[in-house]
Amino acid sequence: MLKPAEKAYFQALTALKDKKYEAAAELFDKAAPFFEQDKEFGIFRETTRLLVAVTEKLTKLEKEESFNIEESFSHG
Amino acid sequence: MSHPESLKKLQHTLESFLERAIGQKEQRLTVLEGINRLDDIARNELSDTTGEAVGEWFARHNHQLEQGDLRPGDIDRIGHILHEIKGGLNRNAGSPEVRKIASEIDRWEGAARRSRRSLTLKRGPELKTAEDDSISLFGKTLARASGMFLEMSAGRKHLLSVLDESLKSSEIQKNREALLLSAFIIYYLKSGGYRVEPYVKRLKEAERLQKEASSYA
Repeated sequence: MLKPAEKAYFQALTALKDKKYEAAAELFDKAAPFFEQDKEFGIFRETTRLLVAVTEKLTKLEKEESFNIEESFSHG
Repeated sequence: MSHPESLKKLQHTLESFLERAIGQKEQRLTVLEGINRLDDIARNELSDTTGEAVGEWFARHNHQLEQGDLRPGDIDRIGHILHEIKGGLNRNAGSPEVRKIASEIDRWEGAARRSRRSLTLKRGPELKTAEDDSISLFGKTLARASGMFLEMSAGRKHLLSVLDESLKSSEIQKNREALLLSAFIIYYLKSGGYRVEPYVKRLKEAERLQKEASSYA
């Protein structure tokens, strides 16, 4: 049988292929105890983490922007 | 460029990097998908649909063995999982369905053995080039291992502590030169009458970890 970490790494790569970056980041975390020293794993994990963080930040900024627009409209 | 624009550009760059990196692993992902699927089948309790699932697996993934897409580590993993499935089938032996799957597994195991043998036979004669002949490759490896030994032995009082450091590097960093250096030191110590069994055990474990890491990457 495959180790849970091995399954998680495979599932993370599949999630990346499907562009499900948040799910991939979580799965990389699950695989980390076994693969943490693997350079390729590190690159995939850190890039995905950064991408998720950037996307979250962008979403937050977009929400704030739309809130500001609504507010300025409601105040004429 | 505004802050959101910079973030969008970074987002695009990261997405594009991951897309290309995954694209390069496309064939490897197909192999891993097959191993993962087989593992899922093995994890499920034996049921009426097991035969069907294994049959479908063979139909989808047999060609990978024939085309040489599988690494030796993959063949071993698949072999182990199929062996477990077969063990489960034996408990319910008797039905034609079960016999059919068991014979498919035997056939695959035979093909896997032949494939591994043919991989050895297929290798062409050794070509001696300036850069990649076995003597110069070994020479380079030896030089790197020697450099590593000098670094690890600096300030230490006994060879056993160098061996411990070298084994740690083999286990944690999956460093092949460190593995070879460890094996060399162990053999040296053994020839001098030291008890090396615990170190041999660690060496084997490090070797297993390195094999697993390289077969999965």
